[in-house]
Amino acid sequence: MQGIHPLRKLMDERIAIIDGAMGTTIRTYGMTEKDIRGDRWADADKDMLNNGDLFSITQPKMICDIHRRFLEAGADIIETNTFGATSISQSEFFVEDPRERGERKDPAFYQSVLENPMLRDLAWEINETSARQCREWADRVANDTGVQRFVAGAIGPLTVSLSNSPDADDPGFRVVTFDQVLVAYKEQTRALIAGGVDTLLVETIFDSLNAKAALVAIREVFDEDGLELPVQISAAVGRGGETLISAQTTEAFWNAVAHVKPLSVGLNCSLGPDLMFPFLTELSGKAKTSAVSAYPNAGLPNPLSETGFDLGPEDMGRFLGGFAQDGLINIAGGCCGNTPEHIAAIAKAVRGVAPRSFDRELVKA
Amino acid sequence: MSVVETKPLRLSGSQPFTQQPGVYLMIGERTNVAGSPKFAKLIKEGKYEEAVSVARQQVENGANVIDICMDEGMIDGVAAMTRFLQLLASEPEVAKVPFMVDSSKWEVIESGLKCLQGKGIVNSISLKEGEEKFLANARTVLKYGAAVVVMAFDEQGQAATYEDKIRICERAYRLLVDVVGFPPEDIIFDPNILTVATGMEEHNNYAVDFIEATRWIKQNLPHAKVSGGVSNISFSFRGNNKVREAMHSAFLYYAIGAGMDMGIVNAGMLEVYEEIEPELKVLVEDVLLNRREDATERLVEFGEALKAAGAGTSAAEEKKIEAWREGTVEERLSHALVKGIDTYIDIDTEEARAKLGRPLLVIEGPLMAGMSVVGDLFGAGKMFLPQVVKSARVMKKAVAYLTPFMEAEKAALAAAGVEVKAQGKIVLATVKGDVHDIGKNIVGVVLACNNYEVIDMGVMVPAEKILDRAKEVKADIIGLSGLITPSLDEMVHVAREMERQGFKVPLLIGGATTSRAHTAIKIAPHYSQPVVHVLDASRAVPVTTALLSEESSEEFKSKHAAEYEAVRQQHSAPQQKLVPIEQARKLRTPIAWREEDLAKPSFTGVRVLEDFSLTELAEYIDWSPFFHAWGLRGLYPRILDDEKQGAEARKLLADGKAMLERMVREKWVTARGVYGLFEANAVGDDVVLADGTVLHFLRQQAVREGDVCRSLSDYIAPKETGLKDSIGMFTVTSGIGLKEIVERFRAEHDDYSAIMAEAIADRLAEAFAERLHKQVRDDWGFGLTENLTPEELIREGYRGIRPAPGYPACPDHTEKGTIWRVLDVEAQTGIVLTESFAMWPGSSISGIYFGHPEARYLAVGKMDRDQIAEYAERKGWTLEEAERWLGPNLGYEPA
Repeated sequence: MQGIHPLRKLMDERIAIIDGAMGTTIRTYGMTEKDIRGDRWADADKDMLNNGDLFSITQPKMICDIHRRFLEAGADIIETNTFGATSISQSEFFVEDPRERGERKDPAFYQSVLENPMLRDLAWEINETSARQCREWADRVANDTGVQRFVAGAIGPLTVSLSNSPDADDPGFRVVTFDQVLVAYKEQTRALIAGGVDTLLVETIFDSLNAKAALVAIREVFDEDGLELPVQISAAVGRGGETLISAQTTEAFWNAVAHVKPLSVGLNCSLGPDLMFPFLTELSGKAKTSAVSAYPNAGLPNPLSETGFDLGPEDMGRFLGGFAQDGLINIAGGCCGNTPEHIAAIAKAVRGVAPRSFDRELVKA
Repeated sequence: MSVVETKPLRLSGSQPFTQQPGVYLMIGERTNVAGSPKFAKLIKEGKYEEAVSVARQQVENGANVIDICMDEGMIDGVAAMTRFLQLLASEPEVAKVPFMVDSSKWEVIESGLKCLQGKGIVNSISLKEGEEKFLANARTVLKYGAAVVVMAFDEQGQAATYEDKIRICERAYRLLVDVVGFPPEDIIFDPNILTVATGMEEHNNYAVDFIEATRWIKQNLPHAKVSGGVSNISFSFRGNNKVREAMHSAFLYYAIGAGMDMGIVNAGMLEVYEEIEPELKVLVEDVLLNRREDATERLVEFGEALKAAGAGTSAAEEKKIEAWREGTVEERLSHALVKGIDTYIDIDTEEARAKLGRPLLVIEGPLMAGMSVVGDLFGAGKMFLPQVVKSARVMKKAVAYLTPFMEAEKAALAAAGVEVKAQGKIVLATVKGDVHDIGKNIVGVVLACNNYEVIDMGVMVPAEKILDRAKEVKADIIGLSGLITPSLDEMVHVAREMERQGFKVPLLIGGATTSRAHTAIKIAPHYSQPVVHVLDASRAVPVTTALLSEESSEEFKSKHAAEYEAVRQQHSAPQQKLVPIEQARKLRTPIAWREEDLAKPSFTGVRVLEDFSLTELAEYIDWSPFFHAWGLRGLYPRILDDEKQGAEARKLLADGKAMLERMVREKWVTARGVYGLFEANAVGDDVVLADGTVLHFLRQQAVREGDVCRSLSDYIAPKETGLKDSIGMFTVTSGIGLKEIVERFRAEHDDYSAIMAEAIADRLAEAFAERLHKQVRDDWGFGLTENLTPEELIREGYRGIRPAPGYPACPDHTEKGTIWRVLDVEAQTGIVLTESFAMWPGSSISGIYFGHPEARYLAVGKMDRDQIAEYAERKGWTLEEAERWLGPNLGYEPA
């Protein structure tokens, strides 16, 4: 045992702040297709503009500016810009969709994706590059302010589901296998660690089996490479508190991941803070051995509002401040629609509020 | 010994399961090929669907966990385990419970673990192959987050005696807890339930050994659990279920007393301990507790006697009739859909088909009703996506059952020369720039289950590819999906392209950031066909069915259009940008005024039509609104063949025509009208007649597509053009004499005929307006060459319009007063205006004729204070009066 992790220590003292959304914040910079492509992907066949992870490579100034702004807004933890940085998710932007030819996506297709050296190298490059950028800015701001900052390696949910069949005639069909997902996640995990992240954050979980593959991948990397980092877990739940695609309810989800002894478990994204509240309460009551995080969307997507979401910084501050007052959380932040202004408002709202207490001895450093 | 609260075993499927202290956890065993020959046969024959229903029965019978085992020489264990668990994942009623992955082959166990989203149980690991293998397997189990069954085996073999059982269990426990760090509450020991009453003396104490070992484990190995394969105990009595059930119950009674937490058992095959026959109970307990040397013989004898008496079959096995089977066929179908049960779907579907007569009525009736309950429950967060998908799969079965009947019906229709519509085709795609499609895939599955042909184009699909494919396959509907906000703009682009390319099919919009408001406000205005937001997968089918239904699509479309218009208005009400009236006037309808576009009336002045021929008017009747008046929805003449409303519609039409004939023959009513054509020019937004009479019009102020702010006055040549233009006005009625007729029917208590008479008179008035409009076009000259049939007239396929004051194009009712003055309506026809500017008698219509080729109907919509104030001045009103008359059109809060 290496002793208590400093982030763990921080959470004994106060509620930690995690940053806001990368995707929706990028959109405020008015970047164009040309900007994301740069010279390197000038001739790519498909549109890249929504492949936000690529910006870490082609527009590092903008991405680092966003990291810096979140840190200066008070984030203790910033996430790498690697939500889709696996060979599987990247394939959507670089490989022709077989359905365009009337064929289908299946394990054979994803096997070719996993064996595609360009995609594998690209996924690695995005993860490592983004982790390094985050590391640099987290440390810079820490030095300037005297407050240690942490980098969470973001591991997203993928564009495929291990629980759902897209075939009307065969509910047992899966486009991809567990082992294939495992391989992709292991590569991502290793690259994030190589870039210097402090924790690994499996987030926006809408399919618990995908998440399980990620958690198994992390364990295998730790065992094979002889190291150990704190793991954070966060699910995206619907109106009934269920993971959106695989429909696992909150407590069932906690039972399924508790063996990881995560540094934190929580809810993010999905329906915004008010609709998240009952399930956050449930999770906070059940997950007694773990810190609890909440970083919801800024309400529901509202394409008719200026920010694209319902809630402004004050609203988010009010909601997260309420969660803190109720003793539900140890980590607060925002997901889609949350800008640095939102994070500043959240940080302000939870300042001075005692963090939720949880069973210390049982948490792995 | 210090008292430590035992930590419960916590497991999960899609739902959590927490073992309650003292409550026995039942593990279903029928999905074990070793335990169930029936299940083994299904798996070997590849009948996975039926095999799934075995799992479902286990859960319905109360199993808390189900044991799944594929260990059989003829079965590929890894493939079978994977396939079966993936199927169970799509079966929400089963997937809610935790699964026990059972195999003696480690690769089968691992393949099972890769299919569990929840926390299951591995059955089993043991020290049989030594410590190294034991530790490695335990670490793997922990990595996947499952609990584990540890068999009381070691390198020497199976522990049969009490001493061996506890020795091996303690060793395994220490390794797991101290070396692996396995949570002790997740360790489940199986100290081997071995068969008693075999005739071998050394087997007689097996039950006692197990029970005592259980007691020791629970007292000495903190938090550990105990389980066992209960049916082993009674193996000697195969074929005698009565005895076996009694043995299981009695054994469990004692083992649970000693602390046994769970056991593998056929949940449907358990006698209640208290209900075991007293004599049998004593015999059974003698055997289990090893109380008499002759216990076995005595029980065997009793068992033989029971068998001879034919009582050897299971008591618990007798089929219980499920309560929901007692409802009506509609209720049963709804229940089956909501609960995802397909067991009886064929029988129930057939019953509904027999009852309703046609297969389509079953789909559009009870099945669709059931699916809409599913939609409601999903919307309320009470059902989850996998359940919606499962419901759709049950729907698919019902539809599959009905398909041959529908084919036969189609073939019969085709043979009779009737054109039959093919199965609906839907092209689905996630739009360009977006890679998210799991939700869209679910929509595709749900639609496919409802017999639609789904062409899924995948993700990142550019508009031209979607539209090319839609054309190529002759799609009936296009569905677009997107999850991220930039996709919304791409959807607008696709809608625009569809409009440009002249598409005629509806467009569906779905995905996380889409919304009804956004669809109505931002997308729908770009495409002239229905653009419908589909909230979630559960709504895809009702929307698609309504859009493609011959019977109800018109109704759905008009309802949908009205609904979205309301959304747009609501949205625009507070913040819609109203431009100043001066600017709006600059945005008037652009018309290049040319002499040749202006119709020259053959006369100017007023003409009266005294007693117009009812026989002639009857030809001009548009019957569709007649049915609307009676609450039937649909277009004439198609409504006559409507499955639901057809019979009713045909009867109404027959009655209506009979009454029309009497009305005409016996001349119940008199049709009278007056109209006039006048030289006129537009002056500002007013139209001024040659005699100085002013018709006042209002102008749109909301900036719209194309930036045109229209007013009816735009269609009359402005004075400054120097051109001579003309305008017409009319009032008609077919209501003279109606009141007496209606009162006569009412006096005879014949309300049906009274309403019918009013409905027919209304039709005649409309027909009169149509007929007179034809006259006016002839008077203007351009009508003489149009040569339209009455049907074409009804569709208004001609030049010019006849808007009525009080309707959206000219919302000021009081302008009727001008018509009355100019045409001297009251004196000429007897029609009077009430104080609120309604016309009396009923069945009267008035309006204004515009003859310019560019003239079209419009809605003035919301107006700002500047125009209202100015209009008040033009009308000689106070501002308050203007605001009162134009209340619904105010785009501001009046003071």
